[in-house]
Amino acid sequence: MMPALAPLPQISVRDLAIGYGEVPILEDLTFDIERGSVFIIMGASGCGKSTLLRHLIGLSEPLRGEIRYGDRVLTGAAPTERADILRDGGVLFQGSALWSALTVEDNVALPLEQLTGLGAAEARALARLKLGLVGLAGAEQLYPSQLSGGMQKRAGLARAIALDPETLFLDEPSAGLDPLSARRLDDLILELRDTLGVTVVIVTHELASIFAIGTNAIFLDAATRSILARGDPATLRDTSASPQIRGFLTRSPEVAP
Amino acid sequence: MVTGTAPAQLTIEPVATSAGALRVVLAGTWRLRSATPAADPVIRALAATASLTYDSQAVSAWDGSLLAVVARINAACAARGVPVDVGGLPAGAIRLLALATRAPARPAAVDPARGGMLERIGRDALALAGRALEVLGFIGGLAGSLRRFVIGRAQLRGRDLVDQLQLCGADALGIVTLVCFLVGIILAFVGSIELKSFGVDVYVADLVGVAVVREMGALMVAIVVAGRTGAAFAAELGTMRVTQELDALDVLEIPVLEFLVLPRMLALALMMPLLTLFADLVGVLGGALIGIVALGIQPGVYYRHTIDAVTLGHLAGGLFKAASYGVLVGGAGCYAGLHGGSSAAAVGRAATSAVVTSIVLVICACGTFAAVFYAIGL
Repeated sequence: MMPALAPLPQISVRDLAIGYGEVPILEDLTFDIERGSVFIIMGASGCGKSTLLRHLIGLSEPLRGEIRYGDRVLTGAAPTERADILRDGGVLFQGSALWSALTVEDNVALPLEQLTGLGAAEARALARLKLGLVGLAGAEQLYPSQLSGGMQKRAGLARAIALDPETLFLDEPSAGLDPLSARRLDDLILELRDTLGVTVVIVTHELASIFAIGTNAIFLDAATRSILARGDPATLRDTSASPQIRGFLTRSPEVAP
Repeated sequence: MVTGTAPAQLTIEPVATSAGALRVVLAGTWRLRSATPAADPVIRALAATASLTYDSQAVSAWDGSLLAVVARINAACAARGVPVDVGGLPAGAIRLLALATRAPARPAAVDPARGGMLERIGRDALALAGRALEVLGFIGGLAGSLRRFVIGRAQLRGRDLVDQLQLCGADALGIVTLVCFLVGIILAFVGSIELKSFGVDVYVADLVGVAVVREMGALMVAIVVAGRTGAAFAAELGTMRVTQELDALDVLEIPVLEFLVLPRMLALALMMPLLTLFADLVGVLGGALIGIVALGIQPGVYYRHTIDAVTLGHLAGGLFKAASYGVLVGGAGCYAGLHGGSSAAAVGRAATSAVVTSIVLVICACGTFAAVFYAIGL
């Protein structure tokens, strides 16, 4: 285990309202993301999962409410403080968002070269090590367009963990992957959580992943614009009073209203 | 374990018990955000080293920065065949290093190796020949699409054509006005310098009229359109290639050349003469402004001179050139967009190549037209 220096951040969200323009798509969101947990944000397509993630990583400003990283408030923070807070988070975007003009190694080395005190040779060595961690050893000199979808996700993950983040945000990590690749990615995420001690926040609606790695979850609902349920995904599936959630988690439309 | 936040340190010491053995002693707090020692002293010492061990007892905290140094040293050792014992590193680091060096899930594809100079010349020559064929194929495909369009069988939407007419025609009026008005002014000033010394500065009207209507109107519009519309065609089609929108058309057997390229080319070929007609008028007005205000020519006289000097032949020639330039700019833009690479940088290159190729082609065509029109006495 990596020794923890500062207490790991616990993200707390209070009375958050998010949306486009003045119209909120989700309101009164209040939840905590515990240190070291694998936190799942789930819900049907179009309920605002990815939008919520954009707010958590500071890409969008909420309409109302507050997001705290530990004791620091992200919402409304000055640009320098905001950058300082977000520096402890790594993000894997839905489409991997690798920089297509750079090789895989350069993609991972770029944040190391720009934001750390490492020398150029050390940054490259560490980039190769991170690529080795995600199982991409040997693919360093390829360009993103030469990689398969699963390898692109892995490369994006290597870039997300380049700076040893305390929180790892993953937007639909297993979307577009075959079941085996998705399973390997899940294993990799757990392995990284255990070895690096990161908190993982995942937006997904892949049921297999949700049950395999999720320790806590919130279920978003577009109709009521709120959190419909929260808790351990397996417990939710088995005991939730809401037919909508049981239907979602068991893939049975007949249960859902 | 030592507590506190001493800076990260790296020292090398020989191991007393065995010859040539080196111990790398790591100490302090290793943080990515702060300055950490580089591995260079260790790498330099490797030449005289038989084996290498680590000692990290004095490390109080560490992260990727320590891994970076260790990874670099280990890679250098592996390259020189120096055995490394990582047992002295923090337990978490040992585990991460082991994870990182396990066999890759599947063998990665490798780039074709770059050969010697002759091989590269050969490759480039073959690529050039391939590109020439590609250009011929593009022109041939366009001709076929045009034929189907003429007999009313082309698969293109009228709506697209109207949109493109609007985009490359009406929307360009502002910038064309500005550029051509200024060109008229410049021509009038330049002309007046010489003509004044002969006392015939009233002929500025003739000079501006003929120059603008016959050559400069079409040329300036072509250059504006190359930067405005040619680049837009390349960027749009290039992005559609990257996002597989072109593939989606292909599998539906909707020919890309007919559906996307033809409306753009037609729009440019139709709008270029119209823009040029407008540009001619604006250019002549720009010249007139200088002639009347700065040179003191009577407006009526200026008007008569312009009407007498500019013939219908000049105008027709200018408009014909404009339509040709339109085809060249549209073709270069669409070709660059359709045949680029599949990355963000490739889209940028396509847009650049579209503008550069368009302008080179237009200038070459302009020279050819000038020679041919002169030879046939127009």
